[in-house]
Amino acid sequence: MAEQDKPKKSGIFQVFKDIVYGMSSHEMTRHAVRSRASMEHLFILITMGDLLGVPILPPYYSLRLLPYITPQISTWKRRMLRERDITDTLG
Amino acid sequence: MSLRQVFESHPERRYIMFGGKGGLGKTTLSATCAYWLARQGKRVLLFSVDPQASLSDIFQKDIFGKGAVPIIDNLWAQEIDADKRIQDYQNEIRQKILDMYGFDKVPEEIDSYIASASAEPAMEESAIFDAVVDIIVKGDYDYYIYDLVPLGHALYYLSMAKVYDEWINKITKLREEMGQYDRVAATLRRQESVEEDKILEELRYIKGRINASSRILTDKQRAAFFFVLVPEEMIILDTRKAAELFARFDVPISGYVVNRVLPQELRAGKIPAYLKNRINMQEKYLGDIRSTLGNQVLAYVPEMERDITGLPMIERLAERLFK
Repeated sequence: MAEQDKPKKSGIFQVFKDIVYGMSSHEMTRHAVRSRASMEHLFILITMGDLLGVPILPPYYSLRLLPYITPQISTWKRRMLRERDITDTLG
Repeated sequence: MSLRQVFESHPERRYIMFGGKGGLGKTTLSATCAYWLARQGKRVLLFSVDPQASLSDIFQKDIFGKGAVPIIDNLWAQEIDADKRIQDYQNEIRQKILDMYGFDKVPEEIDSYIASASAEPAMEESAIFDAVVDIIVKGDYDYYIYDLVPLGHALYYLSMAKVYDEWINKITKLREEMGQYDRVAATLRRQESVEEDKILEELRYIKGRINASSRILTDKQRAAFFFVLVPEEMIILDTRKAAELFARFDVPISGYVVNRVLPQELRAGKIPAYLKNRINMQEKYLGDIRSTLGNQVLAYVPEMERDITGLPMIERLAERLFK
């Protein structure tokens, strides 16, 4: 998690703060981040659909967005093209 | 009203378009009009958005893809080379990817996408569309004269602005919602701020470009659209239909120019039956045009004895058109 990457402040107060965060808002944060990621994939689909053979939009202006999306392209394609199974609906 | 009066009484109409079916003389009339305006001391840019442009032919000078080429004092002509523009644009995108991520070369998957995107038929139209925005946004000239492609394309060109605009609105909204999730996550994590969304910035830029162009094309104050037709049944019917369609896109129609009218003086001489029939036929349809379009017709242009190429012929036609 992103929280672990940061250098932690010492002291009992910080430990207490982390515990409260873990108990209360960590799950909400995860949900927000996951929703955001799904939307990112939706966004790439409607702008870069051609990459999967789904032409959605005249490509001239979508090319302008390509540089910003470059790092996400491979994970996005994997997600869009993978086979779905029952665990998807459970998760 | 004559064509001359329209220009003199509406000096604010700076974006001039001639539309009509293919082969009726749009290029000839736009070149003539540009020539006349330049002779009046206005700075004029005549440009073609047609992939098979013929400005080079009419001015007997190769101007394709060379930017704005001076023709006479105050008159420049430009033919947009869409292919080259697409190539430059692709390279710009590739370079941006290299610069942003410090790659040595563009990843294969991305590169093949860039290459295949340019094969799309819409790419060329969009590239031209964007080039026109470039030209107009600079605002270097008093008059911009569009040598438009045949009607169907012209309508496509105009409707594209609307479609693009709606599409951009939708994804901009989605992007803004994504920003909200970012902010929620950041707040929950007690982060100070979120990164500025570069994509949203780009979307707003694209929206601005599209709006700039469609705003001008449908601006009743500053744009003038002239229909070119000839006295023939099918052309009259098609023009009527097209005029209705254009009205739906809010394109301000300033008037009609009837081209290729056979001179009545011919009747005086002894002429073959073939020619006589043509003159009679034209007379009938000229009557139709007068009764339906009436004073919206700004000029009747005679059929000349030879095709209009080169400056002396253009000058002669300008004298007839703006007398």
